[in-house]
Amino acid sequence: MTRNAAASLIAVATFVAAFGVTLVNLASDRGVDAQVALTFLVFALAFGSMHVAVRQWAPHASPYLLPLTALLAAIGFAEIYRLDLRLAALQRWWLVIGAALGVLTLWALSRSGTDVIRRYRYVFLVTALLLLLMPLLPLDWGFPIRGRLVNGSRLWVAADLGFLDIQFQPGEIVKLLLVGFLASYLAERQPSLSMMTRRLGRAAMPEPRQFVPLLIAWTASFAVLAYQRDLGASLLLFTIFVAMLYAATGRSAYLAVGGGMFAVGAAVAWASFAHVQPRVDAWLRPFEAYDTTGFQIANGLFAMGSGSLSGSGLGLGRPTLIPFAATDFIFAAVAEELGYIGSVVVLALYALLVTVGMGIALRSRDLFRKLLAAGLTFALGLQAVLIIGGVVRLMPLTGITLPFMSYGGSSLVANFVLIALLLQVSHEERV
Amino acid sequence: MNGPIRRLTLVLLVGIAFLLANVTYIQAIAGPDYRDDPRNRRVLLGRTAKERGAIVDRTGEVLAASGENPDEPGFLRVYPQGDLFAHPIGVSSLLFGDRGLEQTYATRLRSKEDLTISDIVNALLGRDLRPESLVLTIDAELQRVAADALGNQPGAVVAIDPATGAVLAYVSSPSYDPTSLLGPNAGPAGDALTANPDQPLRDRVTNQSYPPGSTFKIVTAAAALELELATPESTFEDPPTLELPGSTATISNFGGGRCGTGDGVSLRTAFARSCNTVFGQLAMDIGPEALAETASSFGFGSDIPFEWTVLDSVFPSGLDDPSLAQSGIGQRDVQATPLQMALVAAAIANDGVVMEPYLVEQILDADGALIEAHTQAEWRRAVSPATAAAMRDLMRAVVASGTGRAAEVANIAVAGKTGTAETGRGNPHAWFVGFAPAANPTIAVAVVVENGGDAGSEATGGAVAAPIASAVIAAWSGR
Repeated sequence: MTRNAAASLIAVATFVAAFGVTLVNLASDRGVDAQVALTFLVFALAFGSMHVAVRQWAPHASPYLLPLTALLAAIGFAEIYRLDLRLAALQRWWLVIGAALGVLTLWALSRSGTDVIRRYRYVFLVTALLLLLMPLLPLDWGFPIRGRLVNGSRLWVAADLGFLDIQFQPGEIVKLLLVGFLASYLAERQPSLSMMTRRLGRAAMPEPRQFVPLLIAWTASFAVLAYQRDLGASLLLFTIFVAMLYAATGRSAYLAVGGGMFAVGAAVAWASFAHVQPRVDAWLRPFEAYDTTGFQIANGLFAMGSGSLSGSGLGLGRPTLIPFAATDFIFAAVAEELGYIGSVVVLALYALLVTVGMGIALRSRDLFRKLLAAGLTFALGLQAVLIIGGVVRLMPLTGITLPFMSYGGSSLVANFVLIALLLQVSHEERV
Repeated sequence: MNGPIRRLTLVLLVGIAFLLANVTYIQAIAGPDYRDDPRNRRVLLGRTAKERGAIVDRTGEVLAASGENPDEPGFLRVYPQGDLFAHPIGVSSLLFGDRGLEQTYATRLRSKEDLTISDIVNALLGRDLRPESLVLTIDAELQRVAADALGNQPGAVVAIDPATGAVLAYVSSPSYDPTSLLGPNAGPAGDALTANPDQPLRDRVTNQSYPPGSTFKIVTAAAALELELATPESTFEDPPTLELPGSTATISNFGGGRCGTGDGVSLRTAFARSCNTVFGQLAMDIGPEALAETASSFGFGSDIPFEWTVLDSVFPSGLDDPSLAQSGIGQRDVQATPLQMALVAAAIANDGVVMEPYLVEQILDADGALIEAHTQAEWRRAVSPATAAAMRDLMRAVVASGTGRAAEVANIAVAGKTGTAETGRGNPHAWFVGFAPAANPTIAVAVVVENGGDAGSEATGGAVAAPIASAVIAAWSGR
């Protein structure tokens, strides 16, 4: 695909976003107004500048990544606009800010290349751990950076910097830092981690001390679950860790031990944490617990079921009946208004994104970049599967964002940077 | 290390395939179940969100309308009269179902816009998709007077224009506020109404029958006149107690004594004073088949043509003498709805012809132009004009000098018949059926107060029901 074809596809996504806003307007008797123009401009600015930055600083990068993300963002934005005008106005800012950080990432890496990540990997690790702990800062103390409690979870940080009052979820950034650290660390330690010196029955096993990092990751994830009550981040971080360990070594022993640790952690969490059991109950029996924990999942099912084949049409359904429709349940809202056709398109876009991202990893010659691309893609794909899986009752609801579609600043910014990193890796591997 | 990465890719793609499978199940297979689940508020909102046509009374007073929903785009059904019209108008409630005229005229009251491609087709064909509205025969002011007169007592009041069949008032008590059956709390509210032992949801005008008691003597007297077994001046024996042949049962007059002075009593006096022994004997003289036939000619045993199915009133044929004597005074085997008894009065008032009763005078389009007007129709002939004239005279005497004096209205000659119907258990039902003015009737009324209402065991039709009819007739005459 040529650069110009990619630019055309980004233009298509820009029109999709503006057209979606127009449809929502028409459904509620508002015509083509400033919102349509503003949306068009923001998408053109955000993805156009990313596209120009790629041409400038990463000309050999994969041309598929930006059009796919632009289309997902366009569908997601149209639905957010339909659900909540105020959130849509904020989301437009986040698109611009996210793209700016994506451009900045491309510019910064154009000079040093992704190798800079290797050099600072322990900075990444420490930053990741600190960020992970930040939501546990006191809710109310003199220091202007504080933890925040939202919907019973301790996964937000509020920073009151006087001129600027921002709140963010460090989990999204931690995801990136963790993948960067692991790619670098595992690429270096790959030989020793892969050595199978012991045997357990008929299975080859590495030295017991090689399991120490896994144990640390498990402990950190479990702590996130216990103290921040963040099922999604906990599951995401631990699974990324195990998957990257497996990708680096190819040793299924790590998968088996990781799976075992996950099972133990899940069992302990289910038995001892008050916030885990309701999630499982709501997953297995949403209609029996309709008035309490099952309400959200049941209403998601009502929304998707009402959508049927072709959906109610943008602005003509009632996705506002689903609690947290713009964040956790954006997929159900899209499925209601765009129908089964919309659901299939969204799932296909994620499948394509996973295929493209993993293709970059597979084609990479350098182990670090291979692991980096694989880890980033896996993180993005896993996050989509986990949250949509919760919405469609494949698994308990984890309450994380759907990349590029959900409302959310932290998520959008982190995922723009994620795509910028993938673009840079694909560029470096083709030079 | 491409092998593990390929397997991780496969894991993600298989995961997405599972998502696709679940979504396919949810949207394609289980979709209709989720969509129609009563807890899915979409269906309710979808129905109430559409504009529905207004329902107005004969003067244009609004009884049901569509208002803007303050919470979201769309409409809400509004019932500005509260519980006053709950039974004739009903309610359009998804969770509880449609009732009354809202149900009968559901498709006409509903907007045909469904926000699909069919709207465009219809618009091209020049069809009006906007909802139609109903103009009723009911007079809201008269309805208010009737409901106030009945008060909190359980029962029914129905008033009809005898010449046309137009229903002027339609009150069933206790009632309910139809607004309570709208919105998200309709489920529990409906369950509470259903479980209420006072049965506020029951339409006592058309869907509840009672023993008519002495009001049925109109039918018995009419049968005797029609068969020329008697004239108003014929004299009858006047025993204090009538022994029923082939039975140990007896019939006594109200209060236990004779009806007249002891030398016999005229039909006119026996009717005015509601002599049970005279009418028990008269019923046996008429015979089971003839009396059943006359009852049938008034509508007993037939489906009354109406906006919805009306409970059939009953007068069995082939009764033996004891049953016949008791049924002839409106007890035992006779059951009548208030609407049926109003039609009995209306038939006498209308020279013996029963008009088809109806509630909807006109159907208008959204611009207020007439689409359909009701066509008045004779339902059946109950008695000859001569018999009807004689009966008007007899019924006038009831109010002028008999048991129904409480129905009198200043300067208007009211005619009617009282009834105090034994129920076997509980206090008697108090009845009054009549019409006015006696010479040229413009309104026929039936009133029943269940189990005597506030008067309890002391209740009589003359004391409890007649004043209610009087209030309704006075209000109608004043209009």
